Amino acid sequence: MKVTIKQWNAVAQWQWDTGKQDDATDGEEDVCGICRNPFEGCCPTCKVPGDDCPLIWGECTHVFHMHCLLKWISTAASKSQCPMDRRQWVTAERKVAPSGR
Amino acid sequence: MASAALRNQVATKWQDAFNRLNRGQPGISGLMGFSEAWSVASEFLYPKDLGDPPKDFNVQHVKAAFDVLIQCRTLPMLLENFVETMRQRQYLITRDVEAFMAEYENSNDPGIIAKLTLRLCEWYAAWAPLVELGQTISAAYVAHFQTHVFSVLPPTFAGGFKALISATLAAFTDPESVPDAALVQDPNLWQCFETLGLTERYEALISSVCYEHIENHVTGMCAGKWDEQMLSKLREWMADKVVPWMLLPYARGAKTAEEARAMLQGVGSRFDFHVCKTLCDLRTKELFDIIIDYPESAAALQDLKECLQRVDQRSQLVQSLRKANKRRLLHPGADTKDILTQYVSIIRCLRIVDPPGVLLYKVAEPIRRYLRERPDTIRCIVASLVGDGESGDSLVDDNEPIQPLQGPQVDDYMDPNWDPEPIDAGPDFRANKPSDVISTLVSIYDSKDLFVKELQVLLAQRLLAVADGNYDNERRNIEILKIRFGEGPLQVCEVMLKDMTDSRRIDQHVQQQNPSILHPTIISRHFWPSLQSSKLTMPGQFKKIQDIYAKEYTAFKPDKRLRWLPHLGTVQLKLELQDRTLNTWTLDELMSRVGLTERTASLKALFAWVDRGVLHEESSENFRLLEQAEASTVPRGAAHRPIIEDEPMASTVAQEQAAQMRVYWRFIEGMLTNLGQLPIERIQSMLKFAPGYDQTQEQLAAFLEAAQREGLVTFSQGCWKLHR
Repeated sequence: MKVTIKQWNAVAQWQWDTGKQDDATDGEEDVCGICRNPFEGCCPTCKVPGDDCPLIWGECTHVFHMHCLLKWISTAASKSQCPMDRRQWVTAERKVAPSGR
Repeated sequence: MASAALRNQVATKWQDAFNRLNRGQPGISGLMGFSEAWSVASEFLYPKDLGDPPKDFNVQHVKAAFDVLIQCRTLPMLLENFVETMRQRQYLITRDVEAFMAEYENSNDPGIIAKLTLRLCEWYAAWAPLVELGQTISAAYVAHFQTHVFSVLPPTFAGGFKALISATLAAFTDPESVPDAALVQDPNLWQCFETLGLTERYEALISSVCYEHIENHVTGMCAGKWDEQMLSKLREWMADKVVPWMLLPYARGAKTAEEARAMLQGVGSRFDFHVCKTLCDLRTKELFDIIIDYPESAAALQDLKECLQRVDQRSQLVQSLRKANKRRLLHPGADTKDILTQYVSIIRCLRIVDPPGVLLYKVAEPIRRYLRERPDTIRCIVASLVGDGESGDSLVDDNEPIQPLQGPQVDDYMDPNWDPEPIDAGPDFRANKPSDVISTLVSIYDSKDLFVKELQVLLAQRLLAVADGNYDNERRNIEILKIRFGEGPLQVCEVMLKDMTDSRRIDQHVQQQNPSILHPTIISRHFWPSLQSSKLTMPGQFKKIQDIYAKEYTAFKPDKRLRWLPHLGTVQLKLELQDRTLNTWTLDELMSRVGLTERTASLKALFAWVDRGVLHEESSENFRLLEQAEASTVPRGAAHRPIIEDEPMASTVAQEQAAQMRVYWRFIEGMLTNLGQLPIERIQSMLKFAPGYDQTQEQLAAFLEAAQREGLVTFSQGCWKLHR
């Protein structure tokens, strides 16, 4: 038997690459540490998820909605620290094409 | 031995009497005169048989005789005498009456009654003393004659008289229908009725004849005729046909038109009221069908409105329509869509009949309550909101201006045109005056979140089903709905639409880099209704295509990855089959290969192939690939296929269900948050909206009890609510 695919309209969900390799578990999903909304959702000020409300990755491996983090950083109380571990916030350089995957 | 005084007294009396009769004339000539006068008078008054030759009297002579009797003050005696002779001669009339009535009872012809009355009138005329003889005699005569006539008329006369009256009325309104119109139209007839005192005696009967006639006419003319206004026509008919007749019984003796009008006023308005009432009753009875026929039947509704202003039948209307709705609409046999359509028509129709909406409010209440209990109401409303293509007639009139949903309004007391609530409005009546149909439908439910959720589900289905990438229709619908529901709640739908366009853009880019036959729709997880995840792994080349595409995607959007939902979407396959050795797989083997956990789903999939003649089920749960078409096996029906739901998998089924129920917990939580406390039936019927929900109420009950043990919900008075 030979099977030829003529056309395929599939459905997929997009997901942020947060560095965790746990595709398989769809149990507790990752949420932004600031707004507690899922990464694939959007920050409280945004209406549209995805590229319009991107994530920001820190050197400390913590990930937030970019808008959430920038708002935090802009407050004086933040002292430019990561809200999770109180280390100086340094935005990580994203590898454009993750070689490990 | 009489005393002298007594003797004296008698003598005086006698002398007085003599003087009275003799009138002071010489000798007894006066007495002779009196005697003659008496005999002339009694001869004159003597009631004769109609067959006898007419009496020939000199009027002057008779008058002179009566004058003598009056002078002698013996008139009362004469009258007494007259009445007595009348009583003795009564048998003549009785004989006639009996003969006529016997004939009537045989033939039932009202004409006989007419003849009888005319005959009685002849008797009356024959026996009547001269009018010139004075009021006293005439009055006494009339009273006695009538008393006698009424006493001999048998009970059947009333029926016959009624038939006669209605024949006279019919002769006016519809001359063809009466055989001997000439007789019943005889103008003397009514004179006779009057003379004999029948008009007075049977007044109620006469008006009842008229009422019945009106009822028959209205029913005959207006029943089922809803496309023109009948009330004005009926009034014309009254003026043209019935009023000329009414002149006979009700305006006798009117000299001028002016006078006649004044005499007819009271009875006329009574009859006009009856016309309105009859029409109103008829339309009330027909209302359910009138509403079905709307808008063709708008004229009938206008009639009803006018009638209701004249006749206070509003509560009857409400009751009758509620009853009709209950019997014909609110039962399990009716489609939810039909109920909604009829409800919308009721809204429109009752707004014509009663603009403030009190009637509507009262009639709508049971319908709304019923619709709330129907599981697919929301779905139907939403489907009609987005203009589901299936049915041509949308609930919403396209011409209606689209306006935001309206909540209950607060009275604006600064409004100079403010009106108090109508008098028959109930305590919980809310004046939602100009609200449109959609607002009314949405307000069936307490929360409009439900609609938005349902809309989301529906939109998801439609978007995923669209194959040609044309979403204009959906976009347009969402734009319209935004006006109604506001931007906020529909933001989710907006994201869904954006996902669709983004997917196409991304796909175009990916295709340029690395052409693929795969065209995925990439969705934003949290903005689509929860689609069930699946552990299905795609075999061989499918997996490869997916992987290649996913890689391209990640190259294009470096921060994102794709997670496939392999159980959704469509694929077109070409299978090339030839002769080859066969291998059979058991279901369990198959399942382990593709990683399916749901036995029923895999069975369904396999049977889909069996139906196409590709696979053959060798024995229970053993499948064989058919490289050569086996004609005999192809058209196998589903007859001896095991009913899939009945698969005995006792140990795992329960676990699976529990896992499934956990998915639905979010729904339950949501609805309990929105709606407070709910009985289990409501929860079950609402959960049925959820995609893929297939649990029974017993299973749901078991789950809720488990949730109660965990302290998530509490149960009291038959309702579940969230534990806080």
